[in-house]
Amino acid sequence: MSGIVNRGLVQRGLSAHAAIGLLASALLYLVCLTGGLSVFAEEWQRAEQPDAPEMTRIAPEAVQAAVVRVLASEKGKPQTEHLFVHLPVEALPRTTVTTDNQAVHVDANGAIAMPEHDAWTEFLLELHYTLTLPSLIGLTVVGILGVMLIAVSLTGILAHPRIFRDAFRLRARDRGGVGLADWHNRLGVWTLPFGLAVALTGAAIGLATINGQGLATAFHGGDIEAAYAPIFGEEGQPDARPAGVPDVAASLHTMARRFPGVTPTYVIVHDPLTAGQHTQVIADHPRRLIFGEYYGFDTEGRFLGTTGLADGAVGQQAVASGYKLHFGNFGGLAVKLAYAVLGLALCVVVATGTSIWLGKRERRGFRHPRLRAGWDGVVWGIPVALAVTFLVRLAAGNAAPLAPVFWGAAALIVAAGAAAGTAMPVRRAMQAALVLGIVAIGIVVALNPWGVCPLEFRHELG
Amino acid sequence: MDATMSVLLWAGATGAFGGVLLLRISWGRARRSIAFNAAAWALLVAALACGMIAAGAWGVTVVSLCAIGMALLCLAHAGWTAPRGRASASNRRAHMLPERNEPLRLGRRAGTFVLAVPAALIASLIAGLAVRLLCDRAGWREADSNALMLYSMPLIWAVLLVLLLLWPDRRKQAGIVAGPALAGALVLLLGGAGR
Repeated sequence: MSGIVNRGLVQRGLSAHAAIGLLASALLYLVCLTGGLSVFAEEWQRAEQPDAPEMTRIAPEAVQAAVVRVLASEKGKPQTEHLFVHLPVEALPRTTVTTDNQAVHVDANGAIAMPEHDAWTEFLLELHYTLTLPSLIGLTVVGILGVMLIAVSLTGILAHPRIFRDAFRLRARDRGGVGLADWHNRLGVWTLPFGLAVALTGAAIGLATINGQGLATAFHGGDIEAAYAPIFGEEGQPDARPAGVPDVAASLHTMARRFPGVTPTYVIVHDPLTAGQHTQVIADHPRRLIFGEYYGFDTEGRFLGTTGLADGAVGQQAVASGYKLHFGNFGGLAVKLAYAVLGLALCVVVATGTSIWLGKRERRGFRHPRLRAGWDGVVWGIPVALAVTFLVRLAAGNAAPLAPVFWGAAALIVAAGAAAGTAMPVRRAMQAALVLGIVAIGIVVALNPWGVCPLEFRHELG
Repeated sequence: MDATMSVLLWAGATGAFGGVLLLRISWGRARRSIAFNAAAWALLVAALACGMIAAGAWGVTVVSLCAIGMALLCLAHAGWTAPRGRASASNRRAHMLPERNEPLRLGRRAGTFVLAVPAALIASLIAGLAVRLLCDRAGWREADSNALMLYSMPLIWAVLLVLLLLWPDRRKQAGIVAGPALAGALVLLLGGAGR
């Protein structure tokens, strides 16, 4: 009896696993692939604009000079609500000042060097966070995909009772579906802790707007900032009367003197040039998962206190730890490489899932050549479309319309594949195109710093 | 202090490598050995404990990555040395598409989608908010209650999604969604939320 019940549960688990997998597979694949590539966001950024000034550190006075210059250059533009200074760190040794109106790199003396041009990296991150949909909808859809990834992992365990017993068995040379199923199941089981961690943190980040609105409505009279204040701290009181440039250098000197064990990564000036302005320094804490701690300063650079992300309530630390755990930027290049490999493994799990389903149907006599070619178009065509956007970015400059290029190319590849069916070897064609694309990107990126391939420089000058 | 922590972290990483390797040896035997299995799991637990003591959540994460990395190396070896086989693949049916003369039942599928996505989203949101309120009443700090809500909502939704798809009977499905939604709403109502 118990065996029958278990067999029933396993069968229903398989149906549930297939239902969620098939419903979400194409978008899950896209999110996993862009996630794996986003691990190297800083490296992509450097490849996109190799001539931006780099430095291992910057003096507080130079940061102050940069803030003064950028705020002076804002005259005649809409009043910015925030000013961010990205400080040089190991992964991205550049100083970049961003306002609501512009983003510029500065040199080690704080002089404005050039506008920041990282459109492809921004596009890649946008694709991962929101699928390039409007922010609220896109974040929510990606959050839902995180929920689907958790559910598909749980049903995967239910559907495969031997999944742990066979955890080290990989019949990679078996044909006829056995090898494919082994790849899917083994990578699925060993990436399970990673998959669950990125899925839960991704779902929590993606659904934060809905959840924040729920918290605000139920407990904070509809005030969404009040809902997040216990975790991330309260916003300062705005006071629109004009004021001078805040003393950012004093804040950074205080950081070096009072907190020598942490690494400042960002300076944020809230409501700059108003009487209500105040400064926060985000500092990275070594061997911690938190994205950093907020150190608050007044306009004169006097230390006011910390928010508590490093040593406050457990909830604050847990939420602050979600980001690095999700993005894999907590242990240098080794962890980044590990995350990229695991992200690629998740892509393989998602891609093989649908292929296994199609294979089973074929073995039962139901052939779907167009569906299979379309799926091959998704699996191999999406990386090709991404490679195309990178080349378009380098050829057409920072203002190239990357999202339409990507979606247009991806849709064209999938539609052409599905239309061709068995008439064209879609997989082979896309694999060849991908290799060509990667080689082309490699050549362009390798030659760019020496100006041998002056695509980007022509646009910079123009 | 830092040196001790580094030693502990290295011990954790080594333990993770060793634990997975031991598990590989144990599971590769013709008959599984309880002693080997127990030793492997004990080593893995000890490795995680070392990571936790050395550097908290960061240490646990790094040690876990070491264990996963070792497992993938074992898997790569298994794939590399696998003989060419002729085992027949499973063709278990997943019941996603109709076969032969079966109806497509699009209406039923759409109904399941509505229950699993929008309805389960609302149910898990209400349940998450109720969890937050209960924690608040139990004296938790507001940051802890809010953080638990942010993480528990997607988990509750994922569990509801799994349960909904495991029990295709419509009445059971309605109960799976309505249960946490009604219980959560009652808690919120009695707890004075929204006032």
